[in-house]
Amino acid sequence: MVKTSTLFSLLLILISYTSFSQVISGTIKDNAGLPLPGATVIIKEQAGVGASADANGNFVLKDFKPGKITLVFSFIGFQTKEVPVEIAASGSRNVDVQLAESDSELDEVVIVGYGVQRRSEVSGSIVKLDAKDITDMPAPSFENAIQGKAAGVQIITGSGLAGSGSVVRIRGNASISASGDPLYVVDNIPITQDYFINGNSGGMNTNPLATINPNDIESVEILKDASATAIYGSRGANGVILITTKRGKKGGLRFGFNTRVGMSQPTRLPDMLTGPEYLQLYEEAWVNDGNVGTPTFSFAPSLSWEEAQNNNTDWVDQTIGTGVKQFYDFNVQKGAEKYNFYIGGSYDRNESYLLNNSYTRLSGRINGNYRFSEKLKVGVSTSLSQGDNQRVDAAWSGGLGAAMSTALPIYPIYYDKDVYEADPGSPGDSVLAHQQGDYWLEAGIGNNPVAFADKKDWRVREIRSINSLNLLYAPTKRISFNVTGSYDYMKQTEDLFLAKELHGFSEIQNGIAIRTPRQIHNWNTFATGSYEFNLKENHNLTALVGGEYQQSQNQLSARKITNDEGRVEAVNYVLGVDEALYESGESVDFDTTFLEANKRFNFLSYFVRLNYNYQKKYFIQGVIRADGSSKFGPNKRYGYFPSLGVHWLVSNEDFFKKYKNLSYLKLKASYGYVGSAGIPPNRYRSVYYNANIGYGGQPETGPTNLENPNLQWESALNFDAGVEFGLYKDRITGNLTYYNKKSSDVFLEIGVPGYFGQSTLYANVAEILNEGVEFQITTRNLSKKLQWSTDFNIAYNYNEITSLGGYSEDAVSGGTNDTRTVVGYPVGTNFLVRFSHVDKETGAPVYIDKEGNETYKWDPDDRVAVGSVLPKAVGGINNTFRYQNWDLSFLVVFTMGGNIYDSSSKRQLGRVDEWNRTELIYDRWTEPGDDATYPRLTLDEANHGSTTPWINTDLYLHDASYARLRNVTLAYNLPSKTVKKLKLTSMRIGFVGTNLLTFTNYPGIDPEIARDFENPTDRNMSPNISFLTPPQEKTYSLTLNVTF
Amino acid sequence: MKILKNISFLLALLFVISSCEKVLEFEPEGSNLEEEEALSTKNQLIALLNSTYSSTTGYMGGQFQSFNELLGDNVSQPANNNDLNEIYRHDVLFFNSTVKSGYNTPYAALLKVNRLLEVIDDFEFTSEEYDRITGECQFLRAMAHFELVKLFAQPYGYTTNNSHLGIAYKSSSQTDLLQRTPVGEVYSNIVADLKSAEALLPATNGIYATKMAATALLAKVYFQQGNYTDAAQKAGEVINSGLFSLGSDVDRFQQNVVLPEVIFYLQSYLAADGNAFFASGGYAGNYTYRPADGINVPTLRATREFYNIYSADTSDKRVGLYQVVNEGELNEFIACIKFNEDYFNVPLLHLTEMKLIRAESNAILGVELATAIQDVNDIRERAYGGNANNLPAGAGSASIITAVRFERRIEMFAEGDRIQDLKRRGAFEGENPVIRGDQWNCDGLILQFPISERSAIFPLNPNDGC
Repeated sequence: MVKTSTLFSLLLILISYTSFSQVISGTIKDNAGLPLPGATVIIKEQAGVGASADANGNFVLKDFKPGKITLVFSFIGFQTKEVPVEIAASGSRNVDVQLAESDSELDEVVIVGYGVQRRSEVSGSIVKLDAKDITDMPAPSFENAIQGKAAGVQIITGSGLAGSGSVVRIRGNASISASGDPLYVVDNIPITQDYFINGNSGGMNTNPLATINPNDIESVEILKDASATAIYGSRGANGVILITTKRGKKGGLRFGFNTRVGMSQPTRLPDMLTGPEYLQLYEEAWVNDGNVGTPTFSFAPSLSWEEAQNNNTDWVDQTIGTGVKQFYDFNVQKGAEKYNFYIGGSYDRNESYLLNNSYTRLSGRINGNYRFSEKLKVGVSTSLSQGDNQRVDAAWSGGLGAAMSTALPIYPIYYDKDVYEADPGSPGDSVLAHQQGDYWLEAGIGNNPVAFADKKDWRVREIRSINSLNLLYAPTKRISFNVTGSYDYMKQTEDLFLAKELHGFSEIQNGIAIRTPRQIHNWNTFATGSYEFNLKENHNLTALVGGEYQQSQNQLSARKITNDEGRVEAVNYVLGVDEALYESGESVDFDTTFLEANKRFNFLSYFVRLNYNYQKKYFIQGVIRADGSSKFGPNKRYGYFPSLGVHWLVSNEDFFKKYKNLSYLKLKASYGYVGSAGIPPNRYRSVYYNANIGYGGQPETGPTNLENPNLQWESALNFDAGVEFGLYKDRITGNLTYYNKKSSDVFLEIGVPGYFGQSTLYANVAEILNEGVEFQITTRNLSKKLQWSTDFNIAYNYNEITSLGGYSEDAVSGGTNDTRTVVGYPVGTNFLVRFSHVDKETGAPVYIDKEGNETYKWDPDDRVAVGSVLPKAVGGINNTFRYQNWDLSFLVVFTMGGNIYDSSSKRQLGRVDEWNRTELIYDRWTEPGDDATYPRLTLDEANHGSTTPWINTDLYLHDASYARLRNVTLAYNLPSKTVKKLKLTSMRIGFVGTNLLTFTNYPGIDPEIARDFENPTDRNMSPNISFLTPPQEKTYSLTLNVTF
Repeated sequence: MKILKNISFLLALLFVISSCEKVLEFEPEGSNLEEEEALSTKNQLIALLNSTYSSTTGYMGGQFQSFNELLGDNVSQPANNNDLNEIYRHDVLFFNSTVKSGYNTPYAALLKVNRLLEVIDDFEFTSEEYDRITGECQFLRAMAHFELVKLFAQPYGYTTNNSHLGIAYKSSSQTDLLQRTPVGEVYSNIVADLKSAEALLPATNGIYATKMAATALLAKVYFQQGNYTDAAQKAGEVINSGLFSLGSDVDRFQQNVVLPEVIFYLQSYLAADGNAFFASGGYAGNYTYRPADGINVPTLRATREFYNIYSADTSDKRVGLYQVVNEGELNEFIACIKFNEDYFNVPLLHLTEMKLIRAESNAILGVELATAIQDVNDIRERAYGGNANNLPAGAGSASIITAVRFERRIEMFAEGDRIQDLKRRGAFEGENPVIRGDQWNCDGLILQFPISERSAIFPLNPNDGC
């Protein structure tokens, strides 16, 4: 760190530069006369001087020495142009240039693992998204902004809860019990990406990516096929997402300021019954069941029917409001010949529409490079961020979830008058039991979400720092070495305060504060050497050789707290306090011991990549990586992951020149073998627990899991073939790709028979096929005064479990929902008893048994595969219009096929009980002859043919297709004259709306569902299962972007 | 040359990395060990045995007893617990997670004892230690299988040759798919284990299983098998050992106290240094009624029918263990308040039961009726504080049996005895007990296995209730 700080003080000194007053300004346009925003101009003779064009193509070049100079104009996809100019001291010149398009705009630089390649050299399937794609909407975490923009990448935003994790799946889903998420690599560091650090608490999984500031991101590359991912070996099978953070671009000192202020609302409100409506339907059920007289509530014995009639609480209204969002980002950058730097800081406060729920990120980043000589360059990236998540309960845990279920409208929030009760101490007398205005808690505090939120204080604070230092040494032009060391630190501190009403320790009069600190240390170091061979003309061969070591260690800190009598109450508790620890300022050191060790894993890897091409027409790439990991069993410690990619750049052939309308054509194919290692450590061996004091005060030891010494990585054999094209001078560009991914040795956490003595076993048993087609096209439809361009992508995926190694559909444990693994069906198949219809005469539900016969009895043995949580196709279409200084864009994302299972319906629309219902229940059977969707109301499940009260049937299975106006942006770029007057480089003011419109047949609240998950199995098998899941948010924001 | 130099630099780098190769091998951290380390000393083997008792508290600390009570007629419909309600309704689905966790626990205990018996020969125990450890393992193995087979299979005597499907019988730590061992074979294995344990176990063994514990459990097993001669014989051996006496307390679920009648129990304790082990969670969680702490409605409550049988006699001290709440109102229930403490010892074998077994066995056999009458009267004198309710000296078999059954029901309330006693009577005494409308041998009166057990060779129980 000493080194780093010295380096940066040096950089700061260099910032205070002498300035000159001569100015060159002008515009940079293409041959069609359209401005080229982002094009750069530098002075060839004076390193570090440069400027970039604003939205109108205008640039202003200042702070350079007068005399004879050469201006170099460049832009990705365009030929570089040099213009010699002579300028006197304090003089000013206007230089307007037009840049010709280069061979193809499809030739941008693409980050690949451990290096960069030009697009034309890439054999694999890689989607590149730039900074603008990541920051064009107020996304709670960067990956949300990718939705609909990359073909074959399905992103389901976490629910409307602030800080919740989203589900990202690349080319379908090939995992069952192991993580199905892609590998995330930030600036070459495979980062900690565990969605279950905090388990499932409060109806939410925390998002490990949320501390990354989207505004720090320069580009995101999504690697999809084996040719691209094999360099990541045993972790590439689910795809790889490479995140590259910003570095100082060539040019003088520049400042950027971005801000966004907006508000959040739910996409739609749940339609719950009012008090009188609930009572009316309850009474209907009561009468249907043959009861007479005034109904009573078995679940709220203290509440009489008459009292209930006086109450009508809208609990949904009590738990939601309008969230306010504020975002500020300030950055400074400079790129000189010897050095460059980018320094950024941001504050992002995201309140959700749920009351008291927010995620606030404060982040800072310093990235810099320094060149000691032609041969030696050092680079540093360091970021520190803090995510402060003010939590509320949702879904099954309370809050809005309670408002949609057990918090009935017939329960009041407060006592509306003083209540006296008989005094047990003095018979005949009464005492004041509840004062007017006290919370009404007679149905349990969980069913008074207002009181619950008031009595519980919950914060999860995360400190994340991702740092790396790298050394580039290039002794000759042909050879270079890169040595990088990095450290990714994550500390999550969960603080909970429970008032007396909530904690349940009868002897403690005050509340209790609970602190749970968890830390993950992730070290990574790699070294690569690359060599460009000196072959005969037309032959180009480059080799990359490398080795990498990674270690990750998870620590859960804990200490025991005893009460006054010396009895151990719990770990991590502070008893008898009246507020949360972070509010009281009490200093409690929890970091002394570690409760949960045993979560260390490491990887040791070697890899080689060879790239060869002949005349830049025929390309071949071979990659092999050997991965060893402590996660695998002793019999299978090392895996080898080879891939081969070839492509033919047809447009570089001479004969191609005659096809005038075709400007670019690339044919590609790849084949390879990649792995997935997303399982917890220590699953291969039988581990014994050890307690010093157990039964009888004596030591105990015993096995905790079944061993499997053959446990190894999942492997996927990938085939990929496609075409990339450009038409009409690249006014139309696009690609079409076919892929086929056969995964085998897929991990199953098998629910073994209980008589084994241990309940689960990790084994590599399943096989899964993913096959699909991806299509992406970009067209510039109009390019005159009014410009209009369209981006469209769609990906179709077929998913099938081809083998389960002989295990039954109920063998996979870990899922909490009624999705199963069934051979011949997709991962996450809804496995349900079929519902036929409501008997017109009796109102009884009619089911369909296994053989297809109608039956009145609901029997779980009649479950069959009826649906899939995976969509058939996903995609997006974005239209951008530009007219003078205005631009307007619409992004519509869509999902086709697949099913949503609304698991809460079994209670909201099933047997009448202590759950509130939704308005859909009005479509119930009431009298003979009724053709109703829902059966006759009853309080007794026996009338629905069941002995268990809440039953899953395909009555609650719905088509998951939807289209959503994901993003609409209207912006105004201030004219360059005005901007100049303000002494700015550019200024843009805009409006952004997200999720404003949704088109769907789904009758529930919101068709985009990533519920809270219990574990990776659940995450793979139960997206699109809704259980009181809060809807997504809809936001409206005003934005301002300034550079100067 | 230059290239060579560069390549050697690269090789050196790779060498540095590969020298850390052994990092892929590391021991589990913290308190966890691999088996090789975990079972490397004699004390560790004893710790494994100790943890089997811990597992035993997991299912016999009140959970299996409650499952049995729910099948029977002592308790009313459970409050706010759907899993338990399925048991009460005599129609358990294979998804029932409470039943699943209960079912898994004895098998966790079985894995431990079987593994222990497989490795014990590698250690140099004295023959005394060896016998004791082996005996304890066999005792615990017998208990686990006995409790499982009673809940998950039709009773002994359901078929004449007892070839009906039982449970997976586990005598090794192997993880192979198993068939359901016929009930008769399960019982003969249990008896064999207990006979061996009886021979191997010492007379005293701290809080762990003793010779008398094995003898008492054997008496229970024989009684369940309708083998009254052996049952009376074994119960008599325990009674005549002179090691136990009935005492005067009618509540044998005591905190920190072991009543003189207790033969084997699961210990709960709270030490001064704060260390605690509660064996009684299965009871405390289901029966506790403590309005002062906000526990207003216990999950399990006695039925009115049960309470009325005994409540008329105000001299019965045992009735004081029940409390009628909200009497006469719609939400009336009867709380059993003997489980209200945070923790207490859980007696599994006691002299009262031995006396009841001996009395009923002798009465059925028509032998030693005077002893049988005395056994009943011993219990009655403790309950009523005098001899006013005693059986007369010349009472016949029928009245002795009636008296035993009357006392058995309240003495062993919540101990899971009632339903199994009714099943024994159905199987061997020519009776046809009907429990809440369901005949003693109907499908729903045994629990359904968790779905994880289903395989081509392991059919589940019928899925259609009674």
